[in-house]
Amino acid sequence: MSHASNGAPTVITPPKVAERIFKRQGNPEKEDYREQLFELEAKGELEVIRVPEPYVEVETKFGRKKKIPLEHTWHHKSCGQCGHIPGYPTSIFWLHRQFGFDYFDPKDQTSCTAWNYYASSTSNPPAQASIAVRNFSQAHVDGYFPFIHCGTSYGHYKETRDQIIHFPKLREQVRRIMDRLNMPFAFPEEIVHYSEWLHVMRDRIAERKVLDLSNVTVSVHPACHYHKLIPEDAIYNDDIYNGQRTSVVTGIAQALGAKVADYSNWHDCCGFGFSHILVNRDFSRSFAAIRKIERMKEEANPDLVLAHDTGCLTTLDKSQFATRAHNRKVGIPVMSDVQFAALAMGAHPYKVCQLHWHGVDNKPLLEKMGIDHEKAWAEFEEQAEKIKSGETQFMTWEEADA
Amino acid sequence: MPNLPVLVIGGGPAGLEAARGVADLGYKAVLVEKESVLGGRPILESYAALTPDMRNTEEAMNEMIGRISNNEAVDIRTGATVTAVEGEAPNFKVTLQNGSGAETLDVSSVIVSTGFQHFDPGRETQMYGYYEFDDVITLTDAEKMLKAGKFVRPSTGEAPKRVAFIQCVGSRDRQIGNKWCSKVCCGIASKQASEIRHFVPDAKLFIFYIDLRAYGFWEDELYWKAQEENKVNYIRGIVTEINKRGESVVVKGEDTTMGRPMEIPMDMVILSVGMEPSEGTKDMSKLFNLPLESHGYIATTGGALNTVETTVPGVFIAGAAGGPADLEDSVSMAGAAASRACAFIRKSEMAVA
Repeated sequence: MSHASNGAPTVITPPKVAERIFKRQGNPEKEDYREQLFELEAKGELEVIRVPEPYVEVETKFGRKKKIPLEHTWHHKSCGQCGHIPGYPTSIFWLHRQFGFDYFDPKDQTSCTAWNYYASSTSNPPAQASIAVRNFSQAHVDGYFPFIHCGTSYGHYKETRDQIIHFPKLREQVRRIMDRLNMPFAFPEEIVHYSEWLHVMRDRIAERKVLDLSNVTVSVHPACHYHKLIPEDAIYNDDIYNGQRTSVVTGIAQALGAKVADYSNWHDCCGFGFSHILVNRDFSRSFAAIRKIERMKEEANPDLVLAHDTGCLTTLDKSQFATRAHNRKVGIPVMSDVQFAALAMGAHPYKVCQLHWHGVDNKPLLEKMGIDHEKAWAEFEEQAEKIKSGETQFMTWEEADA
Repeated sequence: MPNLPVLVIGGGPAGLEAARGVADLGYKAVLVEKESVLGGRPILESYAALTPDMRNTEEAMNEMIGRISNNEAVDIRTGATVTAVEGEAPNFKVTLQNGSGAETLDVSSVIVSTGFQHFDPGRETQMYGYYEFDDVITLTDAEKMLKAGKFVRPSTGEAPKRVAFIQCVGSRDRQIGNKWCSKVCCGIASKQASEIRHFVPDAKLFIFYIDLRAYGFWEDELYWKAQEENKVNYIRGIVTEINKRGESVVVKGEDTTMGRPMEIPMDMVILSVGMEPSEGTKDMSKLFNLPLESHGYIATTGGALNTVETTVPGVFIAGAAGGPADLEDSVSMAGAAASRACAFIRKSEMAVA
């Protein structure tokens, strides 16, 4: 046995976290999907859709730079968001409009079909890949860059990219389908999630905030589809979690002045579990309530949970309704990072962010944020009455901001 | 005595043994070390006891250093780096840079023994929080405490009650491209766990592993000793996350024997960080035009049957510059490299004669 000295032992403790400085070493010794896409393009196999300017370069997990376009984006919407969290995509659009950014809201985008693939396995790789490529190629034909709203689509497309790069037979199958559609075989240089755009925009959004959020405590739930699938493609900042966890969601919350409180199940899935929500719902509900919400309440006691994916938001929010009946300690409002950002910049809580679609009572939170929800609800009802009476068919952006 | 010496680059265990070997074979050696001290990682990282025979590191390294420090055939240059090379064996012209400037040396052959660096756990694909939690430390952090003779929780200064080691941090990780086993970490974790038992008799000690690799005699000397004598719990399952809950660091992962997820609070977690080619190894490979093998270490020509010869005539490697290596590997390779370097000079002399 080794001993340092014959006298009293000197205590040497490792440096504290504050003194441990993490420096990224650049790219790991592994494949770079961008280089591979450009190689395939050089061989004439596909066309790479370049990230349009203006874009912001950010660091990813291992130090690679990722380009995030600010505008000229083709908004690949989310089935789950449009279906039952409509204030989610409208908040994204609202923010784009506030900054005067050019974007395109396509009417011929299809679902990525990832839920189908996860839950029932009725799909197959060529169908999955062709759906991805058709959407991307349509964006290219429309002259815009794909911009993914849904975390599930984002993660799934990253996996599809991996398959397209590595399997020539799959590329051949996709090419035949694209030929029959008379469309190009196009693939984006980067697969970009809206929360990455929000992250790079966080300081500009914070400059225009109209609410004081310093008394609001949030806990963050990161989407597995975002930071666990193809982890090297997720954004990391040295000044957020010391570069050890993805910085999206947390970054915007901090920039807006909210307090971000940590909890021990931060890394855990929300309970959605890719397929569990569809094939094993009791497990999803229990997991969301007991492993996530209750743990947050116990350890962080937040006013709000922020997430950045359709499935996470739905599972964390809607699961609380059932578990409350069992007297579980739940009851934390849940919303997306982009709804929170839009509210901070003055978006209407019901006309734009459509918070009445959310399950958990968020009125106390709105009061804490300085939002008069009673007045806002009256304004929303007035607008709804116009549609109900036939005076107008739908609400315009101008009316949403009125 | 021939005029041109053998240049040995790197003063760790392999470099020290290589320089001694060259001198013992009747040739001259110039040993260049960029740090101000000799001994390599074991000294620079304050290793307490060497694996597997538990010898005091300083004592063992001083013994190795002592064999060459008073040897007229070995010219030791610390605080110096090789910055340029011209020509080819047996007439290399190398430039050394040190505090007082640059100088040129003529050397006949070269042994690159620039070794490895410990994996930075901040680059891990798992989420271990080394840069987030005081009580998550590395094997090398633990060695420093063991060397000081007291093992405590960094956050409180108190003795830990529950300590976990996590194996394969940065090794066997295809996600980050490190497709190798670092060979020594299982043995070192077992050794450290036994040492911790000595300092904290009542602690519960755990080692989480994918496969436990205790090569050769390490099986008996380290693994069974830790398990039977020091009551270390080996749990087959990889940990994926560490987070904080109250005063504890919570270890989460899968117990693959039981086939179920696990979540265990610990006072301390020690990350068994593996090996990667050192900056010096990368630099010297570029300087001497030495091809790298597929994992990023310096390639050799003869596979398992020739572990020291590179594709450049007259340039040899020893130790972890050629791949993950324990002390036995390093010292044995150093002997082989010394004999090959001297044989190379001898053949060159005979060709001229």
